[in-house]
Amino acid sequence: MSELDLDQLLIHYREDPYEDFVVETPNTGWVRFMADDGMKVEGPRGTWQHIPGTLLYVLERERNRIPIHAHINGTISELQVDLNGQFVEANTHLMSIRHPMTKDEVINKILKQVLITFNAPERAKYFFPPEITYKLEKKKHGTVLVRPGEEILIMSLMKRDTPLIYNGEPGIIHTVYFQPNITLNQGEPLLGICPPGKLNYIRKIVQKIQNEWA
Amino acid sequence: MEDKVLIANRGEIAIRIMNACKNLGLDYVVVYTQEDESSLHVKLNRDSRSNRRNAWRVSSYRDPNDILAVADHTGCTAIHPGYGFFAEDYRFARRVQTRERSLTFIGPGWEVIKGLGSKINTKGIANALKIPTIPGSDAPIYNEIEAEGLAEELFYIQEEKGIKNPSILVKASAGGGGMGIEQVTHIDQFRQVYRRIKNYAKRQFGDEGVLIEQCINDYNHLEVQLVCSRHREMVHFGTRNCTIQSLGRQKRIEVSPGFDLENPSGYQFNPQRILDEIIDYSLKLAAHVKYDNVGTWEWIVTREGHPYLLEVNTRIQVENDVSAKTSRIRGHDSPPNLIEEQIRLALGERLGYRQKDISFTGVAIEFRVVAEDTKRGFTPWIGTITGLEPPVYPWLSIYSHVPHPEAYDIPSEYDPNLALAIMWGENLAEAKERGRTFLSEVKIEGQNSREEPIITNLDYLKENIDNLLIFKD
Repeated sequence: MSELDLDQLLIHYREDPYEDFVVETPNTGWVRFMADDGMKVEGPRGTWQHIPGTLLYVLERERNRIPIHAHINGTISELQVDLNGQFVEANTHLMSIRHPMTKDEVINKILKQVLITFNAPERAKYFFPPEITYKLEKKKHGTVLVRPGEEILIMSLMKRDTPLIYNGEPGIIHTVYFQPNITLNQGEPLLGICPPGKLNYIRKIVQKIQNEWA
Repeated sequence: MEDKVLIANRGEIAIRIMNACKNLGLDYVVVYTQEDESSLHVKLNRDSRSNRRNAWRVSSYRDPNDILAVADHTGCTAIHPGYGFFAEDYRFARRVQTRERSLTFIGPGWEVIKGLGSKINTKGIANALKIPTIPGSDAPIYNEIEAEGLAEELFYIQEEKGIKNPSILVKASAGGGGMGIEQVTHIDQFRQVYRRIKNYAKRQFGDEGVLIEQCINDYNHLEVQLVCSRHREMVHFGTRNCTIQSLGRQKRIEVSPGFDLENPSGYQFNPQRILDEIIDYSLKLAAHVKYDNVGTWEWIVTREGHPYLLEVNTRIQVENDVSAKTSRIRGHDSPPNLIEEQIRLALGERLGYRQKDISFTGVAIEFRVVAEDTKRGFTPWIGTITGLEPPVYPWLSIYSHVPHPEAYDIPSEYDPNLALAIMWGENLAEAKERGRTFLSEVKIEGQNSREEPIITNLDYLKENIDNLLIFKD
């Protein structure tokens, strides 16, 4: 766990406080746009994120009309207007959303550089073993301790499940970066692990960003 | 024929189906996923100007809505599922056949797939017809206590029979192709394995049902290749032996015919009689369920010559061409193409020949060339293939989706299969010798992200040539 030049990092994020999200079709189908270039859009809202975000487009196939909503707030850019009304393939780039980062997102990005990250050894899908799932469900995140030699994750690769053994220093699972059943590229972070003795340091970082990020 | 076929699969089978369609004069469309963009089955259909829109990207080979949407948009009238994915999914076959714009499912009717697609149903039907099956559960088990009770009983029965090192198999009941199977050698390990298979089954197949069977260790794994029509015609194209398998029970070498008939004294039983017996049993079951397309009946035969039906694969199999290579219809010079037969019959044609018109000649061996580390539990190898150059011989057929000469990144979403190589010989000795020639002359180059050279199973294949068609001590 390295010490950071927090001031420098905050300057960097203040200079470019945006993240661009590409919006691609999840499936094939006929596409009809409901948003325009430059339009401001909202992500899901409500206590349980139960109110969908702004309607971006509708995808229709097999008599299923699938409304696709913005998953994050921001401004629409790079709208592919020529695709309106067309049959499109899966993973077709339709537009981008330029998203202004929130304080929590900046904290998360900075913490990724502070926590011990357990990265994906291969491009694969990852799952928690039943024992860890049980512990995470029973306890809140941040209280599940992992020790070297423990089976920490299951890597599902080419239809084979391989247990992944944790070899870092003992720590608690502070942040879970992956979603089950989603393929991650090699090297992407899976877990952010914090040795118990460094919890205060993490808290100080969070406090400093909370105070200084407008 | 005016039909147009959507090929709902990937890899070498997509290319073989594509070529079968061309030979039958049928138009076709292929689908692919983002991860498969550099596969040969995509390149062949995207690079050609005349076929610009023959390849369509879908979210997954398992998304029925995507595949049917492409089929409608491109005017397809039939869907070929290949093997894996939707090939044995009766719900998909039913939907294809019964939707408003119905399509032909190139495979058996959905009722047949439903009846035989599940190992459990098959076992029940076989038991009713007095076809021998392996002792164990004949319904999926969802309850851990029930499962453990049966496991204890199977261990007890084996001990009573004086079987040394008794063990059982825990299988995902909805699984197939050797996936989701683990062996338990002591009852104390059972719960852990049961839970692991149950979780795996739920994730991979959406059904956490588990089968428990006695593990028979000293056996050969055989297959009977049947070809049936919608007009109740039925023939067989002989047998195959696929005993050489990886630790995960994935087949690696297949041979036709299923036993060495030139050397019957090498067995404790009459090999021809056992082959005839499993063919008869297979045909009996096929007739009972009114089987109506290409299918494979999988058997195990013990050292003492007791056959047990394992399952029925209601689809074309990877190794279909091993049977074809040793078969001739009405003495024709070239072997039949079972994928063409499958398409033709699904579209309603008659077989056009009888069993007496089929003759058998020589021995064929298939190698599955896979990027895997056979010394470390057959771990899949991931990296970039920079060269795959098989030798060229009239007795050798190669099927591969690896493009040449371009570099090809093996997608981590799918098995790292590189090629199928089928050698034909006048007899087993010649086929084996040709197998050795192939293995010593094929060139495969590649490296992974750590710049380590490619690992393949070529040495494993070489080491196992002498184990073909025998019961190993």
